[in-house]
Amino acid sequence: MQVTESALPAAAPEMRRPGGWGDAARSNIAGLLLANIVFIIAFALLASGFTSPINVYSLSRSIGIDGVIGLAMMTVIITGGLNLALGAIGVCGAMVVGWALQNAGLPIPAALLLGLFAGGALGAINGLIVVLTRLHSFVVTLATMSVFFGVMVLLSGAAGFNALPASLLAFGRLRLFHMVSPLLLVMAVVALLLFYLYRFTAVGREMLAAGANPVAAKLTGLPVERLFVYSHALCGAVGAVAGVMVSLRNGAIVPSMAGPLGADWLLPAFLAPVLGGTALTGGEVSVLGAVLGTVFVEVITSGLYMLQIGEFWIQTALGIALLAAILLERARAGAMLSRSLRG
Amino acid sequence: MSRLRNLLRADWLGLLLLVLGGSAALAVVRPEFLTPYNIDVILVSFCLTVVYALGQGVIIAIGHMNLALGAIGCLVAIAFGGAMEVWHLPIWLAAVFGLLLGTICGFINGWLTWRSGLTSFIITLATLSIFKGTALGITQAQPFYRIPDAVKAFGSVRWGPLPAMLLLALPIVIATGIFLARMIPGRQMLAYGGNPNAAELSGISRARVVLLAHTLSGVLAAVAGMMTVARLQNATPAIGDEWLIASFAAPVIGGAVLTGGHLSVVGTCLGVLVVALINQALVMLAVDPFYVQVLLGLLILGAVGLNRLREARLGTTAPVRLS
Repeated sequence: MQVTESALPAAAPEMRRPGGWGDAARSNIAGLLLANIVFIIAFALLASGFTSPINVYSLSRSIGIDGVIGLAMMTVIITGGLNLALGAIGVCGAMVVGWALQNAGLPIPAALLLGLFAGGALGAINGLIVVLTRLHSFVVTLATMSVFFGVMVLLSGAAGFNALPASLLAFGRLRLFHMVSPLLLVMAVVALLLFYLYRFTAVGREMLAAGANPVAAKLTGLPVERLFVYSHALCGAVGAVAGVMVSLRNGAIVPSMAGPLGADWLLPAFLAPVLGGTALTGGEVSVLGAVLGTVFVEVITSGLYMLQIGEFWIQTALGIALLAAILLERARAGAMLSRSLRG
Repeated sequence: MSRLRNLLRADWLGLLLLVLGGSAALAVVRPEFLTPYNIDVILVSFCLTVVYALGQGVIIAIGHMNLALGAIGCLVAIAFGGAMEVWHLPIWLAAVFGLLLGTICGFINGWLTWRSGLTSFIITLATLSIFKGTALGITQAQPFYRIPDAVKAFGSVRWGPLPAMLLLALPIVIATGIFLARMIPGRQMLAYGGNPNAAELSGISRARVVLLAHTLSGVLAAVAGMMTVARLQNATPAIGDEWLIASFAAPVIGGAVLTGGHLSVVGTCLGVLVVALINQALVMLAVDPFYVQVLLGLLILGAVGLNRLREARLGTTAPVRLS
């Protein structure tokens, strides 16, 4: 343990910064915050109905859902990998909850726990394959998204669960202060837990260190393989939470709710963390950035929708936003590097 | 060297035996498997899939990936259909327009990847959504139905078991094979994929390799998109939606390594055939189509695992790139 503690600052650059707020993270978050404020004001002035309670409610709901999807992907991006099977796992987790509630007759908390566990187990399978075969997680999860989704459809006979307990559905339909969805609070809880994990717990710090430089982390005595499996399992569990949230919005659990093989989740899953400054090469994390990234995406989506741009063009706009964000981030990183070289 | 070549030959020999053995077994269980109609169905699926699988293959060869492959195919397909229906362009001009569009889309991917130095995964994820959104926005998700008869005929005519589309697919396969095996730019692509730093130090231009591979991928996606229009007899924006997994599965089953440097065109063809055969077998045996998904996923895992083992046995494993 002594080795671990003394070695960590070298492995995770973030550790060297007091409080963990680095230059990169701060300017990214400040930029996102500014962009969010500008867009919210602009849409509030331009798009009639943008600030109506109904729109704010649906905005808070989609921020909640896509936020959790983005946070789930973030937990595995920090290992330098990714999880294409996230959508498939999310749907599988929700289906397990549906089965537990409807067929097994379990009480709601037990059913939710079982779903969380199922998502975590599927994620752990991904992690184990990645670690044991040393293949890139891209190809592993490309294969498992197909396997997980296929097995789930075969087991369920492609039939969903539409007789969920009334109390669970009522929770999903709550309107706090007449305009805020409780799903937003679920996202806030998940975000806070992850923030706590990566900031204050040893295992969270070790996950970051393993992702930043696996070889160095290994040499300093960290169980890199086990940490990678943990990260993938965490991704699966958070994915299952997102699956249940989508089900609450729909009022039913259906296998097709995340698109073919769960692929519809991929864009929101990568948009939020990448916009928020989580590096795709691993080792860096910004929970607040991912949340702000989701807010940005949903505000643009909702605003363009209210301006009647047409739902299909919104997809184009989001692609451009992602492209602009990564290119800007790149340019800034380049500028910072040259500055530090000069200085 | 000859031992290595033998081994390499044995690699796709195994796949070939799998294809032949599987066909023979299927023919015994279901004699109607060998009817010209049935063989035509498999060959048509081969023609469409092999073109976009090679479109992904040339990208895998340099160690990149192209998630926007299906979106380019979709955009080109509706541009091709729209050019003929709305602009009343002659077929050849519409096809040239489609090819040009695919070239541009591929070039954009390559240019962005090259200039930014970012992973092609995130770049093509962004362009995927741009291309797909544009295709859906233009068409409002409605297909173009008025496709000229000549185009429709190309997608449906067959001589015995041989579909007319082989006339397009086979030359593309052969040309890609020659390009990668015998021509300097193709060799440079593989060299770059094998070790980008060594390739650059020996004078291969990174810009050229990356731009070339992505542009080529765009062109092949365009061809596959237009072939799909001919086959479906309409240009629907759903084209390309299910290309992603198969486009990775076929080259990988055929022995390609995702970190780049190796792509077997014959192996890719056999990989496409394996997938087509599985599809057909499950249809003929009246098995749930979702078994195809499960089998395909397991097949990818098995194939990459085998490739890994082979690398280890040959002792050619590059130092593991963890980052």
